[in-house]
Amino acid sequence: MSGPILALRGVTKSYPQGGLLDRLLGRASNFVALDDVTLQIARGDVVGIVGESGSGKSTLASLAVGLTRPTTGEILLDGEPLAALMRDHAGPWRRRIQMVFQDSGSALNPRKTIARCLAQTLALRGVPRATREDESMALLALVGLGSEMAPRLPHELSGGQRQRVGLARALAMKPDILIADEPVSSLDVSLQAQVINLLSRLTRELGLTLLFISHDLAVVRTLCTRIIVMRKGRIVEEGPCLDVLARPAHPYTQLLISSVPKGIAGRRAPAAAAASATSSVG
Amino acid sequence: MNRLARLARAADWTGWLGAAIVVVMIGAALLAPLVAPYDPVAISIEHRLSAPDAAHWLGTDQAGRDVLSRIIHGARASLAVGIGAVIIGALLGVSAGLFAAYKGGLGDQITMRIVDGVASIPLLVWAIAIVGILGVGPVTIGSLQFPNEVKIVTLVGCLFSPVFARVTYAVARRIVGADYVKARYLQGASHWQIALGEVLPNCLSPIIVQATLLVAIGIVIEASISFVGLGVQPPQPSWGTMLSDARNALYSGEWWLPVFPGIAISVTVIGFNLLGDAVRDLFDPRNEARTLVA
Repeated sequence: MSGPILALRGVTKSYPQGGLLDRLLGRASNFVALDDVTLQIARGDVVGIVGESGSGKSTLASLAVGLTRPTTGEILLDGEPLAALMRDHAGPWRRRIQMVFQDSGSALNPRKTIARCLAQTLALRGVPRATREDESMALLALVGLGSEMAPRLPHELSGGQRQRVGLARALAMKPDILIADEPVSSLDVSLQAQVINLLSRLTRELGLTLLFISHDLAVVRTLCTRIIVMRKGRIVEEGPCLDVLARPAHPYTQLLISSVPKGIAGRRAPAAAAASATSSVG
Repeated sequence: MNRLARLARAADWTGWLGAAIVVVMIGAALLAPLVAPYDPVAISIEHRLSAPDAAHWLGTDQAGRDVLSRIIHGARASLAVGIGAVIIGALLGVSAGLFAAYKGGLGDQITMRIVDGVASIPLLVWAIAIVGILGVGPVTIGSLQFPNEVKIVTLVGCLFSPVFARVTYAVARRIVGADYVKARYLQGASHWQIALGEVLPNCLSPIIVQATLLVAIGIVIEASISFVGLGVQPPQPSWGTMLSDARNALYSGEWWLPVFPGIAISVTVIGFNLLGDAVRDLFDPRNEARTLVA
């Protein structure tokens, strides 16, 4: 139980730019999405990662789950290098880190019923066929959806319901770490509050470590215990959420806070205030 | 059963018409010896070139053979080539397109450039040339003997494969980037499970539409190849050879000789196209809305 559950050590991710001709002529440059990032996430932390578009938040997420590989640096999952773990594509480590996606429209296979989606996920975790249906229903209940959702196709659900199914699918793997990449930005404000409250409840009940990626400071402050502020692929500030938001040290953090409509950043907002906080920002 | 029920609700009358035509044609082809009123190759000189009447509904040709019976038997060659070529083309092309889109990078480039290469070969010209060089006799592979049509089916199948590859590739490229594919990858699903379980099903509707259109084109190609005498060999009937034989009749007034095989080709082609449209609607998961409106 000691040591960080997720650690990044000097992780850089760069993408080559320009076409084949540019590369042959040596004119190609690299776009650095993530620049020498080192961070540690402790077990049970609820960490908000904020920053503007293109600040490297989403790159960080896809590196952490192993969707992309770092150019340099090392990612450690519970002390074990992810690069080594990934040699076993379907290894038991897979279930430990799961992701909730931003776009509820593309997060679910449009041809699969919700029941089938969850059952196939459970099958990969090794749940026997006989108990898959019961467990799917339990997962739906966990995210606040009724069993009447099970036979439906994704397009028959609202955006908020789809996002809950996406969350249920991630939870079906019984993860230790959940990475949520802007899970509410495609939802309208009332649904945002519902999903945020749900995440808040589940992290407490299930003891999840949550990496919550957002550009919405008000959402982060209601949900998260720690905050990491990113800009241009670098971490500019990190610390306990309320401290950083109350006394931002870095000018970029100050800028972010000042760009939120008045009355949000300064308010002492416990989780119960999520609804009002998110709706005034939206 | 669920699928069929949805088809029944979703398809409008054009879809049903297409399905009916296709079923009738396939039924006629399969049951040709039972439904054809005469032997398609039986020569009867005393009845030659008789106009449509009660005995010969669609008339008889220069050798006194019954046109209706020949059209019914000719459906076998047309549909076998059309459907066979589409199956071969789809197997080759869909696998190539799916592989390229899923694999990405160098594998993508190599596969799709091979597809471009195949597409650049004028295969129809080649098909005619190859059959012309090899002759129209049966093909013997080991102890198995295949009729001449096998050559044509294979070559037309190769001709169709780039079309399938490109359609599959274009759709699959988009699907591969979808979050549900990533989610499945993160669950530790195998590449086979992802490619066949997530990506392929979402590419199916354009593939099926393409397939029905290509069956129609395949029927026309078979007719063309048979028309120039390199396909189905006389005295066996095929719509193409019937049209070819009817050329002289165009000037001597036996209109039933070219008209009825021509109608058979047109109606079958239209039938497959209508069916294709209906099947596309069926495979669209959002077709529930359509049914409610209708």
